[in-house]
Amino acid sequence: MGPQTTTAGGTAAGPVRVVLVDDHRMFRTGVRAELTDAMAAGGVPVCEFVGEAPDVDTAVAVIRAERPDVVLLDVHLPGGSGNGGVDVIHGCFGVETPTGAPVRFLALSVSDAAEDVIAVIRAGARGYVTKTIGARDLITAIRRVADGDAVFSPRLAGFVLDAFGAAAGEIAEVDEELDRLSAREREVMRLIARGYQYKEVAKELFISVKTVETHVSSVLRKLQLSSRHELTAWAMGRRLL
Amino acid sequence: MPTPYEPATHGRPPPGLGPEPGPDAGGYALPPGAPPAPAGGARPERAPRPPLVRARSRGWTPGVSAAVARHLGISVRAVRLGFVLLTIAGGAGIAAYVFLWALTPEEDLTIDPAAGAPAQPLPERRQWGVVIAVGVVLLVVGAVLVTPAVGGSGLGSVLVPLFTIAVGAIVAWSNLDDAQRSRWLGSGAGRYGWMRVALGAGLTVAGILVLVTRGASVSAAWDALLAAVAVLVGALIIAAPWALRLWGDLRREQVAAARATERADIAAHLHDSVLQTLALIQRQSGDAAAVTRLARAQERELRSWLYDGPQGSQSTLAAAVTEVAHDVEDVHGVPVDLVVTGDRPYEPHGAALTQAMREALVNAVRHGRPPVTAYVEIGPDGVEAFVRDRGDGFDLDAVPTDRLGVRQSVLGRMERHGGTARVRRRDDGTEVELRLPPLDGGA
Repeated sequence: MGPQTTTAGGTAAGPVRVVLVDDHRMFRTGVRAELTDAMAAGGVPVCEFVGEAPDVDTAVAVIRAERPDVVLLDVHLPGGSGNGGVDVIHGCFGVETPTGAPVRFLALSVSDAAEDVIAVIRAGARGYVTKTIGARDLITAIRRVADGDAVFSPRLAGFVLDAFGAAAGEIAEVDEELDRLSAREREVMRLIARGYQYKEVAKELFISVKTVETHVSSVLRKLQLSSRHELTAWAMGRRLL
Repeated sequence: MPTPYEPATHGRPPPGLGPEPGPDAGGYALPPGAPPAPAGGARPERAPRPPLVRARSRGWTPGVSAAVARHLGISVRAVRLGFVLLTIAGGAGIAAYVFLWALTPEEDLTIDPAAGAPAQPLPERRQWGVVIAVGVVLLVVGAVLVTPAVGGSGLGSVLVPLFTIAVGAIVAWSNLDDAQRSRWLGSGAGRYGWMRVALGAGLTVAGILVLVTRGASVSAAWDALLAAVAVLVGALIIAAPWALRLWGDLRREQVAAARATERADIAAHLHDSVLQTLALIQRQSGDAAAVTRLARAQERELRSWLYDGPQGSQSTLAAAVTEVAHDVEDVHGVPVDLVVTGDRPYEPHGAALTQAMREALVNAVRHGRPPVTAYVEIGPDGVEAFVRDRGDGFDLDAVPTDRLGVRQSVLGRMERHGGTARVRRRDDGTEVELRLPPLDGGA
């Protein structure tokens, strides 16, 4: 299936072309092996590794050359101006895949620190998962990010609820308000924080999976654009503003 | 079952783990240049003696005699007598005393009466009495020495200024002891310290002037004073750049030393935690469950050390539920993914919820399949906790009695505290929901 990838229309047809950026060679090898095994077991080659990089500068070069659909991006990386994954995202601004879609980033990190997570999300990553994620969940996440949807780990959902004051009961009057979550978005975030998959969230709230994805994407947008105090404080901590 | 791993240290490692040099390495022997300790003439031996350090704030003497006595294990009286005898026999006692004073480090010691030292300083009134008596005696002696009628003019005109210089120097230096404590007048009794320095310097300068201009007129003394000040100012101007650079170097060195200490702390912590765990993992590499548990416990410990800072008292609900989740993880070796939002003080209702949540978690890791996830939301509308596992689901009627008992203890506990508990069976597992109403008086 490999040779067809460059001509695959959009992301739904062929395998997702993935670049893996992490400074630990052992981790890169492990992820590749795990995903390859999982895909072999599943019978469908969902993604294809087209490159990897151990630091910021190599990563930017590889991504600009390969123009992958999805970049699996470690938050902490050597090189660049010292901001790790954030520098990679900034360095690849405007790079598009051969089919014209933007290159999408999925943050993959061991860090639980709020400012790290918020920093890569605000820089433009489409999602955040921890490195302890299972292979099948990771494949789902890659697929989802390639389709332009957002991927939240339970912990990121917890951060969001905290940061937007949703846990304390602050709810947006209108959905468009950037500094607060809507009631529905809050429900979705709460269920994700409880460890629900999108499918389960949809079932629980009697909505479609597509609607769940829409809500999550909307939360991601708010996370990236909001000027809410907690978010900006976190971002300031990483000298992003 | 292998021994459970115990994290060696939870917060920062205690000071002293790092390779800092001992605080008073020089205190165990007489400083070089100091004359042999007087009484008995016996050189102190290194082995079992207490270090030669002076106790802080021991009255109005610098505590040299007591320090020597403690170090040599003889009575203070004997040491004092030795000093006095040496002083009479040519003044060596004074030199020895001053050297010892200048070179003996000062520390906070708890004085035990058994050491032979007077345990309590003199009461204040008596202290002042002593000071006044000594002053009067000195005045009389000085007057006698200076007054030509008594025949001591020649000697007195040298001795009195010398004595003044000595007293001034002692007063100024005595401030050093305190300054070590308050980091060069940085805080505390700063004003008093400056006064002492000024008084000491004034006495010393006056003594020097009197000594130098002995027998000359007042105007000559004035000229000498002006000349001295001019020379001093000139020296200051010349020395200023060097002094500044020296100061800068000193600061840089201090910063570097602080960094080195920090690095040593980190190294010590990593050694106590990560390296030990890695060693354990290598030894138990055959036991997958043990390896997972060790890795997980170590990861958590390191994470909390890196991101949470020193562990405080577990006085909030969020901290309490986190601790419970970690406990369950450690005991059963199944990872628990916990997310907590919000926080509130730890009180009996919260404690009940924490206990109920522990039961639910234990249930989940025992009967369900990982991943076990838990979410606790602490808000103004109360507390909600969810514990979820991915078991095959179970028939509520067919559950073993122990599990039913657990469930009732969860339910009963929550209801006693005005909350609710619900067990939901899902397609792929079970979810326990615990709810608490808001605290009274809460928003």
